[in-house]
Amino acid sequence: MYSVLICDDSMVARKQVAKCLPQDWEVAVHFAKHGAEAVQAINEGKGQLLLLDLNMPVMDGYQTLQAIKEHKLATKVIVISGDIQPEAHERVKSLGALAFIEKPVKPDILEAVLNEHKIRLKAGEESEDEPSLDPAIRDVYQEITNIAMGQAGDHLARILNVFVRLPIPNVNLIEVSELHMMLTDVAEKDAVSGICQGFLGPGVSGEALFILSDSSFGDVARMLDIKEEVDDRIQLEVLMDAASILIGTCLSGLGEQLDMGFSQGHPVVLGQHRSVSELIAANRLKWRRTLAIELSYGLEGYSVQCDLIFLFTEESMQIMNAKLAHLLED
Amino acid sequence: MSQSNIEDLLEFHWLMDMLQTVDVGIVVLDKQFNVKVWNGFMESHSGLLPSQVRDKCLFDLFPHINKPWFVRKTKPVFELKTRAFMTWEQRPYLFKFPNYRPITGSEDFMYQNITLSPLVAANGTVENICMMIYDVTDVAESKKQLESLQVSVSEQSERTTKIHSLDKI
Repeated sequence: MYSVLICDDSMVARKQVAKCLPQDWEVAVHFAKHGAEAVQAINEGKGQLLLLDLNMPVMDGYQTLQAIKEHKLATKVIVISGDIQPEAHERVKSLGALAFIEKPVKPDILEAVLNEHKIRLKAGEESEDEPSLDPAIRDVYQEITNIAMGQAGDHLARILNVFVRLPIPNVNLIEVSELHMMLTDVAEKDAVSGICQGFLGPGVSGEALFILSDSSFGDVARMLDIKEEVDDRIQLEVLMDAASILIGTCLSGLGEQLDMGFSQGHPVVLGQHRSVSELIAANRLKWRRTLAIELSYGLEGYSVQCDLIFLFTEESMQIMNAKLAHLLED
Repeated sequence: MSQSNIEDLLEFHWLMDMLQTVDVGIVVLDKQFNVKVWNGFMESHSGLLPSQVRDKCLFDLFPHINKPWFVRKTKPVFELKTRAFMTWEQRPYLFKFPNYRPITGSEDFMYQNITLSPLVAANGTVENICMMIYDVTDVAESKKQLESLQVSVSEQSERTTKIHSLDKI
């Protein structure tokens, strides 16, 4: 059952908030008197949704948001507070809160916010909302990626003199939150490094994401014939070079299948944790789900592990589907 | 000369003019790294006229460019027809040009983003590559300022938390 945690130092306020939860919403309600208790409860799995007050003893709402952010706790936060200064709104939003509701909370407002952020799904909506992709279309994308990969693999093998284990492309519609997790993972683990690069064709746009595990740097550097010692600067260079080769060959292969040419923007290093979350946060409202083609490469005889993810915008899919329609016909 | 020939020639003329005046450095290199095209941006910033660089090897003109590195960088461009990129974060510049704004700019030289792109000939092979040099000094400057600001802010917040915890004791 979905768990809701209400955190407020005032017992009256806690009860009032609990009463405002939608009547027909089956949830387990838990309470916390301050931030420290809330964090503990979330850790115990008692707070998929946190309704948070700001002014509290021991650990106030801001500190709680900070702690949730720092420890990457899996919870959605809605702040309920009497502090109606615009700055307070801004501050809690920047700390990761989904919404701000002014005290005293009213049932219809709370319900509207819950619906807006898809926290509480109306009956029947749940299954519909799951990302899904027509199997036939998925097959087509998988197939064109396979062909593009084959060409790219051949190119790579020739330039690097290694055998490339061709990955099976994983085609999916993914949600923003999933991408967010993926990117946060990249930024968090110091064991991987990432690069993203925008690409653009007529009516089709998207972004390529290249993620290389840090243990692979030495091997990749050797394959690229880099003789210098692999320090930070060289690592960045290796990352850039490997990314442009893989992204470039795949894109030209895909472009050939789709009968369009892609131009590529300048690659951007996804290193700092902050820039990653900001990157996605800024885009949060613009798109909800996107077509993702995931490729996981391995190279024979080397311990190289890298992932390449192509993300296409939703609008691009229409154009691509039209271009690929001939493959769908029997 | 027929009318259409003249029109073609005129068109070629303004196309060349555009290439010459666009505010991006454009250099075309052949497989031996001889300079084939050197546009106005490159001319103004380097002080070298196209006549001084044409058909001369890039590495002779700019001895500070690390030859094995650059050759390695261009290999996939020639062989795989993929683009290669260099960012200012990785290497602040390839050509050491002075800052476009010598008076108000805070950096001494121009930060550059560079794209190497294949030029595919009619027979499908890549005999020449195009190097595009973008001036990203402003971006680099503001990013550096932002980073130093972030450092000072985090230092300050560390200090205040320390004071707070002392208060509690």
